[in-house]
Amino acid sequence: MASVRPPDVNKLLEAAQGRVQRNVRRAQSGLDLLLAREQPPVGVTPKDVIYSRGTLRLYHYRPLTNEVYRVPVVFIMSLVSKPWILDLTPGQSFVEHMLRQGFDVFMVDWGIPRPEDKRLKFEDYVLDFMPRCFEQVQKATGEPDYSLLGYCMGGMFGLMYKGIYPEAPVTNLVCAATPVDMDGMGLFRRWSDRAHLDVDRVVEAMGNIAPDLMLRSFEMLRPMDRWMGYVRLIDRLWDPTFVYGYRVMYKWTTEQIPFPGEVYRQFIRELMWENKLMKNTLTLAGRRVDLKAITCPVLHVMAEHDHIAPYPSTRPLTSLVGSDDKEDVVLKGGHVSLVAGKNAVARLWPKVAEWLSERSL
Amino acid sequence: MPDENGSRDSGRTDVMELWRGWLTETERQWNTFFNEVMGTDSFGRLAGGYMDAYAVIQRGLNQGMDRYLNTFNLPTHSDIAELGERLHNIEERLASIEANISNLAAASGVTTTASVTQLRPARTRRPRSTNSPKA
Repeated sequence: MASVRPPDVNKLLEAAQGRVQRNVRRAQSGLDLLLAREQPPVGVTPKDVIYSRGTLRLYHYRPLTNEVYRVPVVFIMSLVSKPWILDLTPGQSFVEHMLRQGFDVFMVDWGIPRPEDKRLKFEDYVLDFMPRCFEQVQKATGEPDYSLLGYCMGGMFGLMYKGIYPEAPVTNLVCAATPVDMDGMGLFRRWSDRAHLDVDRVVEAMGNIAPDLMLRSFEMLRPMDRWMGYVRLIDRLWDPTFVYGYRVMYKWTTEQIPFPGEVYRQFIRELMWENKLMKNTLTLAGRRVDLKAITCPVLHVMAEHDHIAPYPSTRPLTSLVGSDDKEDVVLKGGHVSLVAGKNAVARLWPKVAEWLSERSL
Repeated sequence: MPDENGSRDSGRTDVMELWRGWLTETERQWNTFFNEVMGTDSFGRLAGGYMDAYAVIQRGLNQGMDRYLNTFNLPTHSDIAELGERLHNIEERLASIEANISNLAAASGVTTTASVTQLRPARTRRPRSTNSPKA
């Protein structure tokens, strides 16, 4: 008769200890989440505000290397969300990465629109705020030229600026997840159809578009994400790295900001309905945004699974500009994971740093 | 002989992995389903109607609240917004004066750059690769 080996008591104890430790971590993380304890630090890369105007802040990040590339790079944020997605948390910050790669980095943070900002239009941002910011960059660096890096709507601002001022000393233009063809905007395009949406009534009643409305419309693009996110969180509650990442992204997603009313009206009327950026017929204060006049090197990075600025809406960008040196890069990931998180660390950041380094001398 | 505890653990892991895979697939299917529903014209009309109703309610609430606050001689939202606008204008004027002073100072050779930004690293960095610049 074959002898039955008794179970190894030490291994059983080790396994039990592992389970207990995991459950203790689970309980601790759960409590931290419920009580909102130990909030992860965000947007903390050391910086100086070198220009401010209304809610606008122009940040100059403190260099992390003794030698930097001659041409500084200016990050332009979208109006839709808070800019710290580009400076997420130490070790997971696009800004920090660029500083470590030897770039002199600035960021235009539009701030949180106040009620009186409902009157601001694209013209204010592109013809007034941006040129003033770039003058300050020139003063701070002593260099005449600069590169622009725009994320989402920030990329649209970059295109509008350079399209109106082709002579502006923009050495390079990097656009990330930047929609240009609004017919490719999927559900957003359908929901904002002129047959259904009375944009004037909405803007006149609300002034700035309420953050809650913005957040809900983004969530409706992938209605299950939030709930499945909770399930995944409970499943991985024992994993501090996962919980940390979840908390950072949850904070960014839910800290939605209002959207300036007049810009919303222009966005819907001129971009969504008329698709003027794509047709190259957009004018701001009577000045034409001529994308063909953009001749500086252009890097365009798109996300394959972007649900906010879907691939069909971003794809035509480089075909619209007049540059000879232009490159399209399609990376795996979504709208947010393109610029932040593990995906971005491995894919977008090295690509942008490498592309800019050769063109920032 | 296979480790009894280990195989039990790997069995449990496999089940969890299967469950996670199912979760991802379920999420994708439901999202696709909702996107199809929300992409229809009737949903578009519904969303438009919701926005209209939201605007009407918002306007009604604003007007009601304005009347209420006026009765009690308290500042309304539009009063505060107007004050904010006036402050904004003052800030704009100050910024313009500051810019003019800065320009005058620059013209007369006085440096006005913040001291922090004067601690500049050398702007001589070159890329590691030997590729020649394309710009």
